[in-house]
Order: sequence, then C-alpha cells, then structure tokens
Amino acid sequence: MAQSNIQIGEIQPTVKRYCLALLSVVIALAFALFLASHNFQGLEFSLFLFAIVLTAWYEGTGPAIFALTLSSLAFDYCFTAPFRSLRVERSEVPYYVTYILFAALVAWFAAIRRHAESELLRARDELQAANKELEAFAYSVSHDLRAPLRHMAGFGELLQKNVNSTLDDKSQRHMTMILESAKRMGGLIDDLLAFSKIGRVEAQMSLVNLDQLVNEVVTEARQEAANREIVWRIDSLPSCYGDRSMLRIVFVNLVSNAIKFTRQRARAEIEIGCVKGSEHEAVVFVRDNGTGFDMKYVNKLFGVFQRLHYADEFEGTGIGLATVQRIIHRHGGTVRAEGSVNQGATFYLSVRKS
Amino acid sequence: MDNLGRILMVEDDPKDVELTMMALEGHNLANEVIVTRDGEEALDYLYRRGKYSTRSSEHPAVILLDLKLPKIDGLEVLRQVKTDNSLKIIPVVVLTSSNEEKDLVSSYKLGVNAYVVKPVDFHEFVNAIKELGVFWAVINAAPPASAWK
Repeated sequence: MAQSNIQIGEIQPTVKRYCLALLSVVIALAFALFLASHNFQGLEFSLFLFAIVLTAWYEGTGPAIFALTLSSLAFDYCFTAPFRSLRVERSEVPYYVTYILFAALVAWFAAIRRHAESELLRARDELQAANKELEAFAYSVSHDLRAPLRHMAGFGELLQKNVNSTLDDKSQRHMTMILESAKRMGGLIDDLLAFSKIGRVEAQMSLVNLDQLVNEVVTEARQEAANREIVWRIDSLPSCYGDRSMLRIVFVNLVSNAIKFTRQRARAEIEIGCVKGSEHEAVVFVRDNGTGFDMKYVNKLFGVFQRLHYADEFEGTGIGLATVQRIIHRHGGTVRAEGSVNQGATFYLSVRKS
Repeated sequence: MDNLGRILMVEDDPKDVELTMMALEGHNLANEVIVTRDGEEALDYLYRRGKYSTRSSEHPAVILLDLKLPKIDGLEVLRQVKTDNSLKIIPVVVLTSSNEEKDLVSSYKLGVNAYVVKPVDFHEFVNAIKELGVFWAVINAAPPASAWK
C-alpha cells in the first residue's frame, strides 16, 4: 500500500507533463478548427508547430514526442486531403519532417538549458554552503580565539602587578612584551573580523554627499591630531552613489593614514580633492606630504596585513588599505596609489556618480 | 540577609569566572556571586530545581550571561527567562566574547537589558565588569518584592 503510494507520487509529475502536452495540442487544434470554420486557413501547420515547440521546451523529450504524434495525427486527420482520414500523401511528408526536426532541435536546446541550469543551481548551493562555513568560521574566531587571549592578557597583567617589583629589568621587559603581543593579537583579530564583515554585510545604497562625509571625518581627525600642525586643503567634492557607513570607513582610513605617515613632518599637508573622471564616475584623491612609499611595492599596498613600514616606525595592522580596496571594489570602483619615498603619497578612488 | 542582592553568573570558562570575580572583588563589590557553569544549571538555579531546590526564594539582582555555553546556550536561557512571567523582571546582561551583529540582534529581540562584549584588554575588562556590577547590583533599583510572582 505504502509502496504504491510512493509510485503514484513519482508518476504524478510525469502524467502532468503528458497532460500539458495533450492540452497544448488540443488548444492548437481548437484554435485551428475555429479559424477554419471562419474560412481562415494556412495557420494550422504553425499552430501545431508552436504546440510541439512549447512542449519540447518546457516538458522534455517524452511529452514532445507525444505532442508531435498527436499533432501529426490531428493535422493529417483534419487539415490534409483526404479529410477525415489518416492516410498520408507523399506531398505531406515535408510537414511531418519539419515537425520532427523542430521538436528534436528544441528538445536538444532545452536539454542544454536544463543542464546549465542544474549546474548553476549546484554551484549556487556549493557557494551557499561555503559561505555558511565561512560565517561559522568567523563566528568561531570572534568567540573562541578572543577568550584565551583575554586570559593571557588578564592573568599576565595580574602577575605583572604582583611580581614586578621583584623582577630585574630584563624580565620586566619580557613581561611587557608578552602583554603587548596579546593586545596586538586582539587588535589583529578584531581588524580581520571587521574586514571579513565588509564582504558579508549587505550594502545599503543611497546618494551620499561626499562633501559632508569628508567634513565629518576631517573634523574628527583634527580633534585627535590637535597637537600637530596640519594644513588641510579640501576641495568641493561631488555626491556619489554608495553605502554611507562603508564610504565613511574608507575616508577614516585614508585620512588617518595621511595623518600617521606625515608624523615626521614639522608641517603636514593633507589635500582631499577630485580629479575629472568619466561621465559616470568621480575620482576622489587623498594626498599627503608624508613618508610616502617606493612605487616598486605599490601592488603590496592593498594586501591584507601587508605593511611597507616597520612596526616600531609606524604602528598599525596593515588592514586599513585592504579594507579601503574591498569597500571600493564592492561599489564597483577602483583604487590606486602613487607615491615616492619621502615625497608623500596620493590615493585615488573612483566612485559612481549619482 | 544581604540587601545588595546576588549576582548570578552563567559562565563555562573557569578562567573567565576567576577574572570576573577578581574584577568584582577589586572594586569591593560585596555582592554574593553565584556561578553556574552552563545554561541548564542556570535554569535549575532560577527555577529552584535539582541541587538548587533548597535555595532561598529571593531572585538574583542581575544575571551575567555568556552566550556560548554547554548544553543549553545563552540565547535559550535568555528566551526562557524573558518569556517567564515570574523571571522576566530580572535584569539580564549578556557578557560575551562575541561581537557578532547576529547575536546582538537576537539578544535585543529576546529582551536583553544590556549587551557587553568582553574586551581583550585587561584594564578595559576590569572597568567593564566594575561598571556592570556597580550599575546593576548597586545603583539600579531592583524590582520590589511584590513584583516576584
């Protein structure tokens, strides 16, 4: 009993496909007869052809053969001499050959389409699974890696407090290095997570006033660098289409980099402006007169955790420019950098105009 | 009876328990701290089941809840507390390593009172715990006894 139920369940879609084949032929026949009754002839052949092609495209080879047979019978019986008979005259053969050729051709195309479709679906499922895994990985990193680090930093600090007075200078220095490293690793993990988040979070696109955005960022940066002499030159900027909070991260990164790498200048100069791009694109740049970089290594600049300066020279994890590039790429734009050693650096980014 | 109210800590990692206790003690927060090691034990405590069936009926002043826990996880504990009429007035503070937006959103949807990401830096951690303890166990006026029904 249960077994026959399963069989019925499997058969039903097949029956449905053949019923649809039958239906399309019946509709074609009805329409052809209706036209014939109004003395409008010559369309029957095309109507049946249409029914066959439709069936072949949507329902597959079996139903297509079924529709082909039905159509041929109906066409022969109703519309070719001798009428009301299934006799096939030699002159009718090309009609049936056309039916068969068309059905075969369309069934073949349909098979190719179905194959491509199933491949796409499979690839999509695989991607979804990989994405899920990645999310689980990021989650695990965020939760499980930070806990032991917190313990190292916490107990290390307690130990330092309790025994520091009894330690010699060298041991005290080692203690400090352990704690600094734990802290640094915490920073690296947080940065990496924030970076991976940019790829996963959906962008909220809207019209962004870059003038306003850059002003906000610069005002904040100015307060943080109040003890430095910095000359700011900020041109008027266009509006662009993008995710405001992501674009904010871009400018925060570029501006804080400019401030950081001009530290050794008595008078830092930072310029933010716009060069002429194409009709649909605005090219914005952030220029500084800081320590710059060797163009030889320009392709390393935007890599994750890639740094062109020593850690004791300029602090940082090396994720800022990677984040900038990732965000701009997600906006369909490009980034590039120009610079030379001790001559400053300029970062260009292209964004879609409104 | 101590009028400072108890703190119920739900935390599976003994090292985190020790660090949190030190942070609380370091700031002379004299509240009694009950530590439960997983979600099941926490619910046993709240519902006075199993080994907690003989505890006094007074509810904790605040629950410090980790999210990733053995057996029943933190979000499920939060859900049960916040859907139970007699428990939902207890302030619940999620104290976790996770700064995933997903957890944050789920926690707030379930009615969490505060969400704190445990900082890696020890000073920040101590300060966070201190402020939590001071706020929820000392400053915050607990619901009156008549509310426990």
